[in-house]
Amino acid sequence: MATVASHSASSSVSTKGWFAQRHTNRVQEIFAGYLFVLPAALSLFVFLVAPILAAFVLVFMRYDVLSPPEYVGLHNLNQLFADTRLREIYWNTVRFVVFATLFNNLLGLLLAMGVNRTMHAAVKYLLRTALFFPVLTTTASLALVWNFLLTQDRGVINFLLQQIGLEPVPWLSSSSWAMVSVVLFDVWRACGFLMVIYLAGLQAIPESLYEAASIDGANQFQRMRYITLPLLSPTAFFALIVSLIGAAQVFDNVWVLTGGGPADATRLIVLYIYEIGFKRFEMGYAAAVSLTLFLILIGLTLFQFRMSRRWVHYD
Amino acid sequence: MATSLQTSTPQTPSAPFQPKLLLRLGELLIWIFLVGMALIEFAPISWIFATSLRAPSESFNLPPDFWPTSFRWDNYLAVIQSPQINFLLFFWNSLKIALLATLAQLLTCSMAGFSFARLRYPGRDTLFFVFLSSLMVPATVIMIPTFILIRSINLLDSHWALILPATTSAFGVFLLRQAFMGLPSELTDAARIDGANYWRIYWQIALPLVGPALSALGIFTFLAAWNNFLGPVLYLRSWDNYTFPIAIVMLNGYMGSGNRAHVLAAVMISIFPVLLFFLLAQRFVIRGIAVTGLKG
Repeated sequence: MATVASHSASSSVSTKGWFAQRHTNRVQEIFAGYLFVLPAALSLFVFLVAPILAAFVLVFMRYDVLSPPEYVGLHNLNQLFADTRLREIYWNTVRFVVFATLFNNLLGLLLAMGVNRTMHAAVKYLLRTALFFPVLTTTASLALVWNFLLTQDRGVINFLLQQIGLEPVPWLSSSSWAMVSVVLFDVWRACGFLMVIYLAGLQAIPESLYEAASIDGANQFQRMRYITLPLLSPTAFFALIVSLIGAAQVFDNVWVLTGGGPADATRLIVLYIYEIGFKRFEMGYAAAVSLTLFLILIGLTLFQFRMSRRWVHYD
Repeated sequence: MATSLQTSTPQTPSAPFQPKLLLRLGELLIWIFLVGMALIEFAPISWIFATSLRAPSESFNLPPDFWPTSFRWDNYLAVIQSPQINFLLFFWNSLKIALLATLAQLLTCSMAGFSFARLRYPGRDTLFFVFLSSLMVPATVIMIPTFILIRSINLLDSHWALILPATTSAFGVFLLRQAFMGLPSELTDAARIDGANYWRIYWQIALPLVGPALSALGIFTFLAAWNNFLGPVLYLRSWDNYTFPIAIVMLNGYMGSGNRAHVLAAVMISIFPVLLFFLLAQRFVIRGIAVTGLKG
């Protein structure tokens, strides 16, 4: 007992020092923590959080940039329901998003499976470069180029079609074909990106699983069905969300390729928001429309998360 | 056991014959698909190159070239030396904006990522949740308020209007946090005991170990800034401030439809740096997407 008491008494000084040391360490850590996060937090707050909050306020305002904002109550929200163009433009956006997401993912997955096969390194390099190249290049420039290629009269695509005996197609001037062109261009431009995402997912599947399956006598289709597809599902889930959110926000594609036309045939929601805000100077209504897009995207993402429990396998 | 083994062995050479033929056919179809897609993806690029080297008066002529037949390099000179349009300036503007945004993001995202992954302080998880949920916000939603903000601080028609909003990204913070979380904690603890301050731990010990995540974020930020189109359309007003993408589109309108070879030469000039970069750094780009893709 005595030894213990004397021991604790003698060490109390050093314990106190240790506590003090510990305390300054803790203060330093807290201080450093805030300092390190400060630049990013400041930037995020000024250029993301504040604008989102402002968007919710702006919905109730009439603001044309030049004169001071004026409170108009629910006017902008009522306008959402009265705007028949908005309905048509959302319908365009839905069609574009569905087809672009579908084809981008389908082609991306097939290309990834193709490129992932064993082949000569140089061939693989060439294929990857060719397939990925449009992703790296400025969309606006490429849309400009496709505008040249798709011209009805002296366009390259129609020339090639005529060479093989087909009729020239009014790619950009007919309202039904213009949407096809916009989707085709987007798939051409973006499927290489999805290929790389799927490729990463495929390469993360351990080779040993396939070897084990082969030993058990699984054929190629069984290996695809029971190994590749389930293990690829988290990648596919990620790819679907990323490509869907990306497709819903396409802007430069239609701005350059069709300008939204003919009439409103290829006007997508972001181009419309831009025009409401910066051609009609109805900032409040533009904010209201962009909030509808926000809610739809959040809803879709949550829906995908919920659905994902049925088909995404995490190991 | 023995009988079943014996009956199955002689079948092996003859049985797979038909599946093998099917497999060969499948193999052929896969190759046709791959090569066909590669051609479709690359043909427009080679058309741009071939047509940019044609004489301007022949640039509309059919049949199209997918391989250069004439070599009018003076189209490129004409674009670069054009008296009305200072093309090298556009190049410099794009490069400046992309580089500054990339450097700023690498710094702010890695600092915040380090803080979230390695330091403990009150409110940390709440703050991180704010960062994470802002990942869900599409850029379109803040387009209008951000424009009003930029206008009210008098940054319209300035490159800062494009750089400042790009100084951080929630995605980058998340990516770097995950990378720092992957480092063994003994590493930073040991340095702490040795008396290193947090800045030194971050800068000299942790940062060099998250190279792949940093290069991935760097590549994406640079490409996004280099290819940004909506931003310049919203904020830039005068020719001298234009960046490459918007300058090329405007150039098409400006030079009219009469000079396609020059417009395509301009497009080629904007492609060259990216092509060169990709050929040299393909591995990094693809690994970068792999790193980021798998975190999702």
